Amino acid sequence: MTTITTQTITFNVFRFNSETDYLPYYKTIEMEVTSEEVVLDILNRIKWDVDGSFSYRRSCRHGICGACAIKVNGKGVLACKERMNDLIELFGTELTLEPLSIKRAVKDMIIDKEDFWKKHEQVKPYLIDEIDEHPESENLVTPKEEAQLLEADYCIQCGLCHYSCPSLENNDSYIGPAAFAAAYRFNADVRDKATLDRLDIVNAPDQGVWDCVKCYECQEVCPKEVNPIEKITKLHNQVFEHGVAINNVATRHAVGFAHSIKKHGLLDEAELVRYSEGTLPMLMKHGKVGFKMFKVGKVVMPWNMPKSDKLDEVKALIKSSSTVKF
Amino acid sequence: MSIPIYTYDAVIVGSGLAGSAAARELKLAGKNVAVITKLHPLRSHSGAAQGGINAALSDVDSIELHEFDTVKGADYLADQDAVELMCQKAPETIRWAERMGAAFSRTDDGKIAQRPFGGQSSPRACFAKDRTGLTLLQTIYEQALRVGVDFIDEWYAADIIYEDGKVSGIVAFNIRNQEKAIFNAKAVMFATGGYARAFKISSNAHANTGDGLSIVARHGLPLEDMEFVQFHPSGLSGSGILISEAARGEGGKLLNSEGERFMERYAPNKLELASRDVVARAIINEIREGRGVGPRKDAVYIDLTHLGKEKIMERLPELRDLAITFLGLDMIKEPILISATAHYSMGGIPVDIDGHVRKNNDELVEGFYAAGECACVSVHGANRLGANSVLEALLFGRHVGQSMVADIEKLYLREAEQSDADTMIEEMERILTSNGKETVPGLRNELQQSMTDNAGVFRTEETLSKQVEIVKELRKRFANIRIDDKSKIFNTDLQEAIELGHMLDYSLFIVESALARKESRGAHYREDFTTRDDEGFMKHTMAYMDAEGNISLDYMAVTPGKFEPQERTY
Ligand SMILES: Cc1cc2nc3c(=O)[nH]c(=O)nc-3n(C[C@H](O)[C@H](O)[C@H](O)COP(=O)(O)OP(=O)(O)OC[C@H]3O[C@@H](n4cnc5c(N)ncnc54)[C@H](O)[C@@H]3O)c2cc1C
Ligand code: SF4
Ligand code: SF4
Ligand code: FES
Repeated sequence: MTTITTQTITFNVFRFNSETDYLPYYKTIEMEVTSEEVVLDILNRIKWDVDGSFSYRRSCRHGICGACAIKVNGKGVLACKERMNDLIELFGTELTLEPLSIKRAVKDMIIDKEDFWKKHEQVKPYLIDEIDEHPESENLVTPKEEAQLLEADYCIQCGLCHYSCPSLENNDSYIGPAAFAAAYRFNADVRDKATLDRLDIVNAPDQGVWDCVKCYECQEVCPKEVNPIEKITKLHNQVFEHGVAINNVATRHAVGFAHSIKKHGLLDEAELVRYSEGTLPMLMKHGKVGFKMFKVGKVVMPWNMPKSDKLDEVKALIKSSSTVKF
Repeated sequence: MSIPIYTYDAVIVGSGLAGSAAARELKLAGKNVAVITKLHPLRSHSGAAQGGINAALSDVDSIELHEFDTVKGADYLADQDAVELMCQKAPETIRWAERMGAAFSRTDDGKIAQRPFGGQSSPRACFAKDRTGLTLLQTIYEQALRVGVDFIDEWYAADIIYEDGKVSGIVAFNIRNQEKAIFNAKAVMFATGGYARAFKISSNAHANTGDGLSIVARHGLPLEDMEFVQFHPSGLSGSGILISEAARGEGGKLLNSEGERFMERYAPNKLELASRDVVARAIINEIREGRGVGPRKDAVYIDLTHLGKEKIMERLPELRDLAITFLGLDMIKEPILISATAHYSMGGIPVDIDGHVRKNNDELVEGFYAAGECACVSVHGANRLGANSVLEALLFGRHVGQSMVADIEKLYLREAEQSDADTMIEEMERILTSNGKETVPGLRNELQQSMTDNAGVFRTEETLSKQVEIVKELRKRFANIRIDDKSKIFNTDLQEAIELGHMLDYSLFIVESALARKESRGAHYREDFTTRDDEGFMKHTMAYMDAEGNISLDYMAVTPGKFEPQERTY
């Protein structure tokens, strides 16, 4: 960076104060943006230079505390880690700043995250073992065992995946990608003793891992590369490995899975859901999401099915699911 | 309108490592405890620590060496009883964190791995990749949650209830809707964290506004060693965001605009690995003498390109990411721009070794405790060593929690009254209705810029005197502010104004204490008194503020121990 360049950008800023406003509105602000800036700099300048009542959350300002997640032109970003130049390249010079979830907006960029934290707590997100309060040595954990966490412990609870997940948007009891990543994090930990308890929670109908529609949105949006869908798939496997699968939609799902793989070598989302739940319930329950996903290119027609790059994962699931008998 | 009064055995303000660790101890002992925090607990700045946490775990290391390194690093201003306690309990503390679930990096045989850090005689920093603080904060929060600690988040603690040498609760408001409450308790602990946000170029979170310190000081209680603010040599140019010491540890070279490896002139032996204060001064000197680089000529280069892609990706991935995000520069291909950044505060609320807040040199405040970066138990003296502060926060947080458990039996509950909330209510009303012409961002910017210019890495009588006047003037202008937001919901405008009031108050402590300390020691460097003066200044500053806002200074003896002061060379 030898020179700093500037561009004029038009921001449409979501404004809403639940105390005084009946409906939200958008305010247009033009600003000179420099090549040094990230989105949080813009939020700060709106508050400090334009209107002090503008509100948002932030703390660390370098992508480690998870407070500042918002959406820009519908794309979930961590405001303090997202470079303005990258967004301008992607979307052009008109940008819309919105909270993560409009229906949960409380004030401008601030949303009520109660549901997010509740679901986090729901999966027992802590190591369960009797804790030696005065240990003379540590637990021995090899680097290989440590690596089993697959960086799930790097989740900063920003909520980007949670508020981008189409399953969650349609089903309030669905636990959601971030909490599943946390459940996986502790189940994968050799020191933890509560795998079965957590599997009961994540295996339950409606709320559990079987309601994931595998759209990969959570993987795409995560700023820390936690890859929640990968962890969800691992939890699918654990359900079979620990023999806690029950003959319900979940396991029929796995059968559908096997079928789909035979046919395409890849998961066919629509087929899978139909297998698990039957055609009519599927359309009633998932039709909206399915259509949305289709629109954004997330559902592939059978004749266009590409070859899977996740084949190993998928094979592992088939293998483990074929060990149970009903 | 009456304000609800909630009653607890103990109330803790702050949910970083220190506050959460204390809360867990209290809850485990069956005490009724609440943690008030202005952020969600996981947003606390403890999560930002990258490098590591110290403990003499290995056979080649010893507790005594850890003590010695700490005392020497502190330029002999640390209290040696506290250092001894910290170093002795460090191994147990790390292992306890491990038992609770912290995901430390491991050696091949499964033990906790350790890496070398500046100023340490042995590889002593236990780490979890480059996210040590994150794993520790998550772990302690999760385990506190597990035992049922009551976290009251997004509440702002605005005042303590202090009368007749005794604290009996705090007064706070809900940031979400300005609901007010009194938290009445037998014991109160402050764990409100660091305050380097008083400086323009700073590695600290926006939230590190030092509220706890001035809340305490406004009641006439002292603040200790406020002149000792640590400047880290490698903050990213412009923002001050931290590039960890690991970058120099791995072999980063510092270069000026003439391509010179200038550390050869300042520290011919240790070069880039001289102690933090030495490197920070060298960098600022190069910039001052016109050999700075970058669009504003306010930085120097750190060149890591010779390490090669593989090593950078393996050892410094997070740092590479930060430089790309904030500078648009990829350290694999090109040098990046850094300069000194305000980083850590050695001073704070004076406490004894068990965390009891001091009323003065001889007396303690009843029912009042502090731990973590906001406290000064003085394990860091004039300069703290890397990886000793998350240790301090976790270890003393827990230790002080235990001392509260022990004390609570003896403490009685003095019942709170509605009038205890008057100061907070007046403060909020004053700001909400003030109709002047000064703005919060305007004043804050002037404060931060002038603190960086006049009370930064280099200080003189002239710059510090000037800064005293500037801060006093800014305080007057603060009375004449106006905020835009008059609403009740998430009024962050109001919150920022209250925080600015705190920043102005404790900044005056920093500059007045620095002005009076006519020597150079650790992080405090006076160009007009360039050497350490043990005769005159081997003592802690104790500063008090009176009702008019004027500061008076006193001093307190340093607790000696087995290490005699020597000249510090690296
Ligand atoms: C970028 C960076 C990297 C670091 N790396 C290392 C490292 O590698 N090793 C090391 O040892 N140290 C490191 N440190 C220092 C270390 O992280 C801190 O000293 C330590 O984490 C402080 O912990 P704490 O519990 O005292 O406070 P914090 O974690 O800062 O918590 C403060 C708490 O107080 C609350 N609070 C504050 N004011 C109020 C109020 N008015 N009302 C209610 N709540 C309030 C906040 O919400 C927060 O919960 C680093 C620091 C920085 C800035
Ligand atoms: S992959 Fe599953 S969990 Fe992830 S966003 Fe899509 S539906 Fe939600
Ligand atoms: S998994 Fe990623 S996107 Fe989801 S909360 Fe964690 S860090 Fe954020
Ligand atoms: S402010 Fe902490 S992640 Fe953005």
